[in-house]
Amino acid sequence: MNYNAAQSTAPKPPAAAMTYICAECGSENEIKPKEPIRCKECGYRIMYKKRTKRMVQFEAR
Amino acid sequence: MAPPIAKFNTLERERIFKNPSDKSFQTPALQEMVAPHIEAFNALTEFGVGKKTGLLDLALQDIGSKVVFDQRGSGLGNKLSFWVDEITLSKPALSEKERHSITRQIYPTEARERLNTYKGKMQAKLAWRVNDGPVVVETRDLGQVPVMIRSNRCNLQGAFPKELIKHHEESEEFGGYFLVNGIEKLIRLLIVPRRNHVIALIRGSFTNRGPTYSTYGTAIRCTRPDQTSQTNTVHYLTDGGSMLRFAWRKQEYLVPTMLILKALIDTSDKEIFDSVMLGDLENTFLTDRVELMLRSFKSYNLHTREQCLAYLGDKFRVVMNFPEDFTDVEVGEGLLRKIVLVHLKDNRDKFNLLIFMIRKVYALVAGECSPDNPDSPAHQEVLLGGHLYGSIIKEKIEDWLNGIRAQINQDVRRKIAGVDFLNNQYFTKTLQKTAGLQDIGQKMSYFLATGNLVSNTGLDLQQATGYTIVAEKLNFYRFLAHFRCIHRGSFFAELKTTTVRKLLPEAWGFLCPVHTPDGSPCGLLNHLSHTCKVITQPADVSRLPSVLASLGVSQTLVPARGQKTVVVQLDGRIVGYCTSDEAKKVADALRHYKVSGAQGGAVPLDVELGYVPISHGGQYPGLYIFSSPARMMRPVRYLANGKTDMVGSFEQVYMEIACMDDEIRPGESTHQELAPTSMLSILANLTPYSDFNQSPRNMYQCQMGKQAMGTPATAIKYRTDNKMYRLQTGQTPIVRPALHSTYGMDGFPNGMNAVVAVISYTGYDMEDAMILNKSAHERGFGYGSIYKSEIIDLGDLRIRGEPILHHFGLGMDAPRSWREKLDRDGLPCIGVTLKEGDPICAYIDDTTGKTSIKKYKGMEEGIVDEVRLLGSDSGDSELQKIHIKLRITRSPIIGDKFSSRHGQKGVCSQKWPSVDMPFSESGIQPDVIINPHAFPSRMTIGMFVESLAAKSGALHGIAQDATPFTFNETFTAADYFGEQLKAAGYNYHGNEPMYSGITGEEFKVDIYLGVVYYQRLRHMVSDKYQVRTTGPVHNLTQQPVKGRKRAGGIRFGEMERDSLLAHGVSYLLQDRLMNCSDYSLCNVCTKCGSITSPISTHTSNSLSNVREIECRACATAAGIDQIALPYVFRYLATELMSMGIKVTLKTKP
Repeated sequence: MNYNAAQSTAPKPPAAAMTYICAECGSENEIKPKEPIRCKECGYRIMYKKRTKRMVQFEAR
Repeated sequence: MAPPIAKFNTLERERIFKNPSDKSFQTPALQEMVAPHIEAFNALTEFGVGKKTGLLDLALQDIGSKVVFDQRGSGLGNKLSFWVDEITLSKPALSEKERHSITRQIYPTEARERLNTYKGKMQAKLAWRVNDGPVVVETRDLGQVPVMIRSNRCNLQGAFPKELIKHHEESEEFGGYFLVNGIEKLIRLLIVPRRNHVIALIRGSFTNRGPTYSTYGTAIRCTRPDQTSQTNTVHYLTDGGSMLRFAWRKQEYLVPTMLILKALIDTSDKEIFDSVMLGDLENTFLTDRVELMLRSFKSYNLHTREQCLAYLGDKFRVVMNFPEDFTDVEVGEGLLRKIVLVHLKDNRDKFNLLIFMIRKVYALVAGECSPDNPDSPAHQEVLLGGHLYGSIIKEKIEDWLNGIRAQINQDVRRKIAGVDFLNNQYFTKTLQKTAGLQDIGQKMSYFLATGNLVSNTGLDLQQATGYTIVAEKLNFYRFLAHFRCIHRGSFFAELKTTTVRKLLPEAWGFLCPVHTPDGSPCGLLNHLSHTCKVITQPADVSRLPSVLASLGVSQTLVPARGQKTVVVQLDGRIVGYCTSDEAKKVADALRHYKVSGAQGGAVPLDVELGYVPISHGGQYPGLYIFSSPARMMRPVRYLANGKTDMVGSFEQVYMEIACMDDEIRPGESTHQELAPTSMLSILANLTPYSDFNQSPRNMYQCQMGKQAMGTPATAIKYRTDNKMYRLQTGQTPIVRPALHSTYGMDGFPNGMNAVVAVISYTGYDMEDAMILNKSAHERGFGYGSIYKSEIIDLGDLRIRGEPILHHFGLGMDAPRSWREKLDRDGLPCIGVTLKEGDPICAYIDDTTGKTSIKKYKGMEEGIVDEVRLLGSDSGDSELQKIHIKLRITRSPIIGDKFSSRHGQKGVCSQKWPSVDMPFSESGIQPDVIINPHAFPSRMTIGMFVESLAAKSGALHGIAQDATPFTFNETFTAADYFGEQLKAAGYNYHGNEPMYSGITGEEFKVDIYLGVVYYQRLRHMVSDKYQVRTTGPVHNLTQQPVKGRKRAGGIRFGEMERDSLLAHGVSYLLQDRLMNCSDYSLCNVCTKCGSITSPISTHTSNSLSNVREIECRACATAAGIDQIALPYVFRYLATELMSMGIKVTLKTKP
């Protein structure tokens, strides 16, 4: 009978952390959604997204 | 004589690149170039060499204290006075609350990348006291004030390449600009009248001041120690009198000069008469007028100084807004102190100068002297950004204090209960009420962001907008030029006359004659020559008066000795008199002391010695010495001892400065130019062999150099510019002037060396078109890309007061197609190609739980280059703002614009296959073919010389020096490079036999083949092409919309219509103006001729769906017919109907 519990667990995707690179010190930071953007090493406030591991194909014409 | 050997310095540059120095710059010239900007900003806090007080401190002194009374008891009651004691501006740092970061300093790169403002905290010590009680001091925050990069308030101050690179800057970063919302902003230099110097004017508009006002006047722009200024004008009245005019808080006031003279010092009519006459009693013109002036003042019935001051004070009490307990005399004194000749402290000095102004205006009226030209650089100086910035801060502080005063006055007047001066809490509470005026930082950010001057006083300036510009980093040339540009003022841009735009000989060596845009800003937007310096520090001239006295200049108080006496002024203060001949000797002696440093440096090098000789109706004679900052000065060689002297624009007019060696006239020339190229700006200097070109071509090159796709920056990775152009295959030019290396242009290549054949080959090179070798293009010739920024801020979606409800992310509900472009975090994958309509990012709305996307709106494909996650100021909030950098590839295509460095622009018309290109005997194919017709009318011989020089340079593997004015008639460039070509086994004249690529036959003539440095300009067809068949139409008119962005059409206007009619193809108009535009079918009632009355009605037959149309006026469907009409016509008919006008069409079958 606990509707709230059922609702909160079911549709939420697992809070998957992504790895970003600190713009100041270059260290890798795992940041989960809704976490503040702050480097764990130096406290800097800008992160770069890493290049994707997926295949990227260009049309070579 | 051979030109100096130029070098590529490849190894040296490689070494510096690998090991950036932490002690020196590679190109110190770049740092020097922005010195006026940075030093002027530093002057805010450190004005004068080694001083710890700045313009802001001087401004505080000038503002003084504000006073209010509480009207308690009898009289005015308690007196509350308050003032700002001290003002500090700190370097940008994190707030105290932030406790995660390792370093507290904020560096410019963060402001750039997070699209923030680079600002430091400003604090003021506000002090107040009641009556004569104890002084209470409180520190108040004045907000965060934008700070200039690399100034003494920047964390990069004094940093050298190694450290700069560490902080993600250019290795040679020179600063001089502000960062506002991530945009690099610059306060541009402005031309203002020369300070503390009386100029004579004849202006028609002077007569508008009232009856008896003549066209004659003398004006002086006086500058206070804090660099704010106040202009005083003396008007000559046709009845012989004179009036002093000044503006105070944008309001003009006119006061009789005699009143001011008598109020300044205790004086007698005799003294005034004597000091104006200066012993020249034969001059009856003068005696008449002075006598009249003295007599007419009798009507005021003011005899003593006290009376005059009280009279002034009485009239100006309300205007001046002084403390209420001031007597009229005190108000009068305050007026003289704050408004009249404010550059002088002493009233005796003010008296003397005002007398001088009167004398000069009388001389002007009598025709003894000519009017001074306010458009001449001799009577101009520079308004430096830092000084303007300080003036605005000063005014804002004064506004704040006045606001507090007004608030308290209001409380007192309304008899509000809590008014208690003896209670400190009342004052602090009032401060809170005026907090809006206190945030100076926000006001300064607004000023920099918009360039608008919000001011009560107008700051003695003629414009309210356009003070700041964006320092665009389109390429390095353009970026450099921003720092050296100097504007005449937007007031003059509207002027119908062109006199202000003229290039005057006085500008020689200070303003570049070549580097000014053509079109509307021509002559108004100039550039400083590359050796021109703007003085930013006041010179120490405290010992100069004694040196002058020792050289025979009489003291001020001693009456002059007859007619030939001229005045000696130091920064607008009369220091003495002597004869004109003596003045020349004094000037010569001072010049010698100045350059040699004799007399223990009593005459600093930056002092300007403006000796104006006696002439017949020329400039008013005298010796005018200037030591103040904001003047333009330039180095020249002093021939007497070979040392470098600094010469100002005022003194230069009367000096003998030789240019080349053969121009030195013994006994006359005192100085010589360091180099003939000193007169050119940095950009004009970079045009090779510009002395061979027709001069407008060099002007065009100055424009095109700034439009070239080049290397805007080396730290591109750390930049977030809205749009950036980059040439991927930039090269160092083989042919380069010496300044190319001095300014480190090799770090920022702006073009490519191309093998150019001047030949009419395919017909595709007509009308300035050029043919590109397809293989050259395939090897990367001219390949460039554009970086565009997309900024997505979810904060925009947030409603005030609510928590964050939108988060970047890709929910489970996201379709598969989104996942191709976006990552799990809702941000685009780096390296992915985006087309129009593709998702650029995704976010989840907490209230609905749904995932939404933002679409990429650009019409071109872009590749995601960087994705930046931007945190908040204190690094405590989640991701709300991202910056995406997209790369758009722009390989050269037909229609792209190219140019050589000689104003020879052209459009690529074909990419010709390599096999079909002509080739020379050594097998060389040109990269570019241009038409010989490009030369005869344009006379860009410099391009031929460059072609020769680069060809021999490429053959011998050397760089060629292309500094202008190195060759002459006896030593020609053609011979010099001809010999080099000959040595390499090529034709002496640069011609070569060539063979057709198509037939293989040799051409009948030899072809001029060489190497020319080509720039690719940023104007590309991809940004310009506009094509439409059908598309969006305007809502009201049903006609196609305009604008490329909206996929609109191009207007087929009246003149185009005329041409079709003239061609006899008027039926085409039907197609253009009707069918392709707002064609519409319309019902018309042939009976009454109305197109508005036919309306549809339901048929009587309820089974049928067909609607019947009938005329409402005629109440029948009999006359209804359908015709084709332009939709706008129907609109017009309805509009006319609304005004009660009927439109009737006469229809025929």
